[in-house]
Amino acid sequence: MWSLELFTQALIAGVVIGVIYALMALGITFIYSIVKMINWSMGEFYMLGSYAQYLIVAYWLGPDLWYVAAILSAATVFFVGWLIEPILIKPMFTGGIERRDDYATVVTIALLLLLRNLATAISGPYQRTPGSNLPGVMLGPLPESGARFAAFLAALAAIALFTFLLKRTWLGLALRATSQSRVGAQTAGVDVLSLDKIAFGIGVGLAGLAGALLAPVFMVYPTDGVVTTTKGFEIIVIGGLGSVPGALIAGVALGVAESLGATFIASAYQNAYGFVLLLLVLALRPSGLFGERLRQA
Amino acid sequence: MHRICRVAAFAAIFLLAGGFGFVPAHAQEPVTIGLVVPLSPPGDPTAGQLIRRGAELALDYYNGKGGVLGGRKLQLSVQDSQGRPEGGVAAYRRVVGEDKAVAVTGFFHSSVNIAANEVAKSMGVPTIGTQTSAADITAKHYEVAFRTHLIDPLRVAAWLEFMQKKGFKRVSMVAETSDYGVGLITETDRQIKEKKLPIELQTLTFDRTSTDLTPQLLQVKAFKPDLLVNVGVGAPMDLMIEQAATLAITPAVPMLVSYDAPIRPQFWQLHPNTGDKLYFIAYYSPKQTLSEIGTWFTKAYEEKYKESPVYSSLNGFGDVAIVAQAVEQAKSTDPKAIIQSLENGKFAFWSSGDVTFPNADGVFWHNFSPPVLILQFQRPGQDWKEAEVAYESGK
Amino acid sequence: MNGAAPILETRGLSKRFGGFLANDAIDLSISAGEIRGIIGPNGAGKSTLINLMTGVLQPNSGDVLLAGESLVGRKPHEIARKGLVRSFQVSRIFGNLSLLDNLRAPLLAAVSTRDVRAEGVAKAHRLLERLGLARLADAPAKTLSGGQRVLLQAAAGFMMPSLSCYLLDEPFAGVNPVIKDQLIELIEEESRARGLTFVIVSHEMAVMRRLCRKVTVLIQGRIVAEGSLDEIASRADVIAAYLGRSFA
Repeated sequence: MWSLELFTQALIAGVVIGVIYALMALGITFIYSIVKMINWSMGEFYMLGSYAQYLIVAYWLGPDLWYVAAILSAATVFFVGWLIEPILIKPMFTGGIERRDDYATVVTIALLLLLRNLATAISGPYQRTPGSNLPGVMLGPLPESGARFAAFLAALAAIALFTFLLKRTWLGLALRATSQSRVGAQTAGVDVLSLDKIAFGIGVGLAGLAGALLAPVFMVYPTDGVVTTTKGFEIIVIGGLGSVPGALIAGVALGVAESLGATFIASAYQNAYGFVLLLLVLALRPSGLFGERLRQA
Repeated sequence: MHRICRVAAFAAIFLLAGGFGFVPAHAQEPVTIGLVVPLSPPGDPTAGQLIRRGAELALDYYNGKGGVLGGRKLQLSVQDSQGRPEGGVAAYRRVVGEDKAVAVTGFFHSSVNIAANEVAKSMGVPTIGTQTSAADITAKHYEVAFRTHLIDPLRVAAWLEFMQKKGFKRVSMVAETSDYGVGLITETDRQIKEKKLPIELQTLTFDRTSTDLTPQLLQVKAFKPDLLVNVGVGAPMDLMIEQAATLAITPAVPMLVSYDAPIRPQFWQLHPNTGDKLYFIAYYSPKQTLSEIGTWFTKAYEEKYKESPVYSSLNGFGDVAIVAQAVEQAKSTDPKAIIQSLENGKFAFWSSGDVTFPNADGVFWHNFSPPVLILQFQRPGQDWKEAEVAYESGK
Repeated sequence: MNGAAPILETRGLSKRFGGFLANDAIDLSISAGEIRGIIGPNGAGKSTLINLMTGVLQPNSGDVLLAGESLVGRKPHEIARKGLVRSFQVSRIFGNLSLLDNLRAPLLAAVSTRDVRAEGVAKAHRLLERLGLARLADAPAKTLSGGQRVLLQAAAGFMMPSLSCYLLDEPFAGVNPVIKDQLIELIEEESRARGLTFVIVSHEMAVMRRLCRKVTVLIQGRIVAEGSLDEIASRADVIAAYLGRSFA
């Protein structure tokens, strides 16, 4: 079955899906590095983004303005996160809670169930899609759907914008400083509790953006974020928690491993190749490709 | 302290949101029927909710007539299997162990039904497969196992006849790695060999949580088949329709979808351009005459949901109706007595003619199969009721 | 009595951890422009005092006043923005950030404008130059030696736009003599140039003698003496309490 054409096709397909997964991973890892918690409800913020995209495209802007809709959807999810953070997450730091990780886990899993059940109750049994008018493209030998390629480009742009924000702006400096040392940042006059709101909003906004971009590629339904979130967590373990380049590189590595494995080894185990990669990385570098062994206090 | 209040309030809202679907208890002790359906992935949540709609209307029907056993109301205990065998086992244990269900139905995924039957064997409460087709569900001849759905050998026989008729010689089957998908691949392969058919079969499988079927479809493209059989269930089935079109496999190579998902109202919304000329299996022809309760159901469903019922809902309704009748005929809620009456009784169903569950040979044990059709859309946006009948069993 | 008005004051400041009274009715008054030393044996409550003044801990009773305004109940970042800045015993530099970013971070406290920040960046470069760290400006701070980290942390405090009073917690601990001198000179310079007020907690008597005209002795959560180091060194009760445990 091997041919150079097939190999190139599988490779390109892997890179495209990998970059989109990386967007999700970025959201998870970003929230972790600032707020010091794993947000288990990331998939539900992805879902909110996908529904927002569906509603905006289907009832307002139409599929030609998909990119405006995606920005609005991501902004909507940002605000939902920004509003939820002080209610649910902030008590972790201000409420004298001793086991913060446990608290964050319980609260975000409760949030996951709430959002999922609400979505199921409101949206009914059917899957939806905002649709797309984008024509298909040829990526070398691989025909790719316009919507998927657009999601790939938009994900790259979002990652670039996010990197710029982090490295080149004063907000970015505050975020980087806080991720290094919350106490240090406070001493430097940074209001870390209000920065948490922004960081949580940006993190879930990235998930929402992934949901919005992938809405026409996959379907929109109450649990549409589950698979992408699983990939996101895999990528973080591979790339190292808290690392932006790690998320991008590990995302592409995961996409390519799954695509090549499914094409040339056995297609039934598509999801297993990612885990093999993950185990391999854990065995050789337990803190991930770009993770630090210990964080400085 | 205010933090704890907040968490408690949160929990309350959550329970409210998650706890819908339970019918409140009535004065006289109600009779509980278990409904194990997929309500979240990797299962097919759409199918689960459609079956549930049917089951709920069956409750309305019988409770509206005063219930069973001289005034006892029926109620459902709905559990999400997530389409996973272990989810199905847990769900079965809960509806039987905690909610004292007299029978359990609603099954959509074969692997869930098979796993639940193993527990049912020891717990003794019968199961009725609503839309599960793997042979093992009834072929094991368990006393507790019943089914009202098309079984693998009949489905495979149907599409092989269809391939013969259309002259398809090279066929790719892309199937999910579940009892349903693998069962169909195995059975197709077996019947091709047994009947010595001149069909070259390419089989590929994928995990149900896959988000990208490009690797499988690239191999299909390289194989250059005459027909692509889409054996995905739920989201992967939709994904395959889209990605096969993207890779320019369809429409040059026609696609056959292995079950009746394209009759769902959402279909054209999801596949406005890619659904044209699609073949798909259906179990219900709109020209079919319905039974008295089937007619009542169709009217009630259209009134409630402003759309026509599809097979999943019809069978969900029919299976709960069978349980209600079996309880009446047994004059008891004892599972043993219900099994007795299921084996010996005749039951009204949504289709005309009575349903029976004979102790027949092989896979036909305790089984009632609906008719099987293969339909084809003639233009984008076409109502499935007007789709061309490309094949009909027995004709 | 010092003539200048006090810039930093505590009144009856007390902090209890369970049954342990870490600070017991501390009355402290520090004049503007003063360099005050605080000494005392381990566990005397020196770090607790700093944590109370900077809002990391909340007192059980008493008050902290900066230029007459109460700081009790304020959050640490608000207190820092008001000009009361601190350094930590264990350095809290941002290891993955460049040296320059470490010095730019305090400029975030300037809610204000472009100008302050632009000016601040120029100042950051001057400070790095001054400390001999200019060629490392873009290197991550975690590559610095222990002593260089101490310098960087101290320098970051001077970057706070509103800085009026700087609390240094054990800045000289484990630092080699060259770096120690650099740090002392930096403190003296900034003191002269900007009239800043310092509170320095340290065990290093030689440094304290050089920098501080007045020191406060804290023992078991109480102020037991105040005055020049030489005056205090002559008081038998202080020596006994200070050395008590190890020699008794």
